[in-house]
Amino acid sequence: MFDLLANAIVAGLLLGGFYAAVTVGLSIAFGFLDIVNIAHPGFIMLGAFAAWFANDQWGIDPIVAGVLFTPIFFVAGAIVYRVYHVSFERRGDAGLRGLAFFFGVLFLTEVVLLLLFSADYRGVDMPYLETMIGAGPVAVPLRMVVPFLVSLAMFAVLQLAFNRTFLGRAIRAVSQDQLALRLMAANPVRVKEIAFGIAVATASVAGALLLTIAPIDPSMGRDYIGRVFAIAVLGGLGSLTGTLLAAITLGVAESLTATFYGPSWSPAVAFGALLIALVVRPSGLLGR
Amino acid sequence: MPISAPRLVVEGLSAGYGAVRALEDVTLSLEPGETVALLGTSGNGKSTLINAIMGLVRPRAGAVYLEEDGRRTALAGSRTEAIADLGLALVPEGRRLFPKLTVEENLLLGAYRGAARALRVDRIAECFDAFPVLKDRRRQLAGNMSGGEQQMLALARALMSAPRILLVDEPSVGLAPILVARMIDTIAAVKERYRLSVLMAEQNFHQAVRIADRGYVLVHGRIEFEGRTANELRNSELVRTYYLGT
Ligand SMILES: Nc1ncnc2c1ncn2[C@@H]1O[C@H](COP(=O)(O)OP(=O)(O)OP(=O)(O)O)[C@@H](O)[C@H]1O
Ligand SMILES: [Mg+2]
Repeated sequence: MFDLLANAIVAGLLLGGFYAAVTVGLSIAFGFLDIVNIAHPGFIMLGAFAAWFANDQWGIDPIVAGVLFTPIFFVAGAIVYRVYHVSFERRGDAGLRGLAFFFGVLFLTEVVLLLLFSADYRGVDMPYLETMIGAGPVAVPLRMVVPFLVSLAMFAVLQLAFNRTFLGRAIRAVSQDQLALRLMAANPVRVKEIAFGIAVATASVAGALLLTIAPIDPSMGRDYIGRVFAIAVLGGLGSLTGTLLAAITLGVAESLTATFYGPSWSPAVAFGALLIALVVRPSGLLGR
Repeated sequence: MPISAPRLVVEGLSAGYGAVRALEDVTLSLEPGETVALLGTSGNGKSTLINAIMGLVRPRAGAVYLEEDGRRTALAGSRTEAIADLGLALVPEGRRLFPKLTVEENLLLGAYRGAARALRVDRIAECFDAFPVLKDRRRQLAGNMSGGEQQMLALARALMSAPRILLVDEPSVGLAPILVARMIDTIAAVKERYRLSVLMAEQNFHQAVRIADRGYVLVHGRIEFEGRTANELRNSELVRTYYLGT
């Protein structure tokens, strides 16, 4: 019993770390920029397939590929933001039409991936990922541990970038008062463009982590939409530390539920817990 | 030490909002090292003028430029961020702090412009010296500060950009009388310390004239009176009858 519990908790922690990587791009867009980017899971699937392709063609480790591709995703994100800004945000049309735009982008990513890669499952075969590590009764595969560590590293980098740099502080300020930001000699559109580029760049890494953990197919992004929004909101908009905590909470809740009640219950119970948490603390765990 | 600020010139400026004509043919200048008061009761165009200088309001006619070493830089038509980058800082009406960032983060954002970044460590120490309350509260969210503290933070944030010209829009609004006098003194003090030129819009005539070298009175968007000294302002017939209502 204790062994089961300990294993479930550790597995949940690792899963939660991965969820954090999947969510952080949305937390940046939604929490810092007021952009409801429901296409984020689509970008993550693009990242996953890009990493798969690099592995399949050139034998590159998928996580290394995910990191190497971040500049491309950054540029793609900046372009998507420009289109969104010119077409919707600048005209004050960002609400429902913006949502429809990102829904369209999500759909587009899925169709492109289906055409390029068909609906088959794709996985990577890296022998080191099957190694089990652990202590005492707990044993976990590197397949889970590596994504967890990569996710933590990504959070550390982002946290430093957002809290310790001029641009990072401008990104955190931009949704609070654009006029004031212009008085500080910063161009809000440029600031948002860079921030959105960073948000989409995280999808390259998160996609590679997804591929590392399990085989992928083009429509998988949809499974993550609800979870990712729940984590971002529970964490408290505008707080990356909150996102990390919320993701780990959800990971542990899902893992415990799966272990003791069966996997089919885990989404329901996890979301129930989230809803209760939101009723008790609407601003999220670390929301301001 | 000579004052290195450029001269700020506004020439024939008109501006408005839709059918509202808020400024009509306004001409004025701010010489290096001067404190100039922009006087006028509510709704006479003080903020519109200041915002037009900063590129936040697009003028309908006229010019705004900086003059330095015989060179002119036109401001009208430039983007606000480009104007700020030239070393013009505004303490805006309503303070416009970033409420969900800490006091320290607000100050550091003040130093965003290229020329100010390298100076941020010294400047922040000087701000903490001048406003000890900001030092005590530096990890507090700006939105949780009192009105007086927020006004100090807004002024300190503007100073963080190492400006050469400081524009202040009604620093006295919403402050208790004792704080108004202190705020006006502080503006005079930082002006001396950093050798700035200051253009200050104010409704509070008596307080503004205490520190002003000279001033202009705006009535319905026009300059109705120019006082070349503070005494000229105090003794002006127009100011007495129209502006002070006595
Ligand atoms: N955004 C706006 N839209 C329409 N009219 C405006 C706007 N801002 C100002 N006005 C009008 O322009 C005129 C000048 O306003 P302005 O804000 O410049 O005055 P002010 O001298 O700064 O007043 P106060 O002392 O109350 O701040 C007023 O008639 C005002 O109603
Ligand atoms: Mg005003």
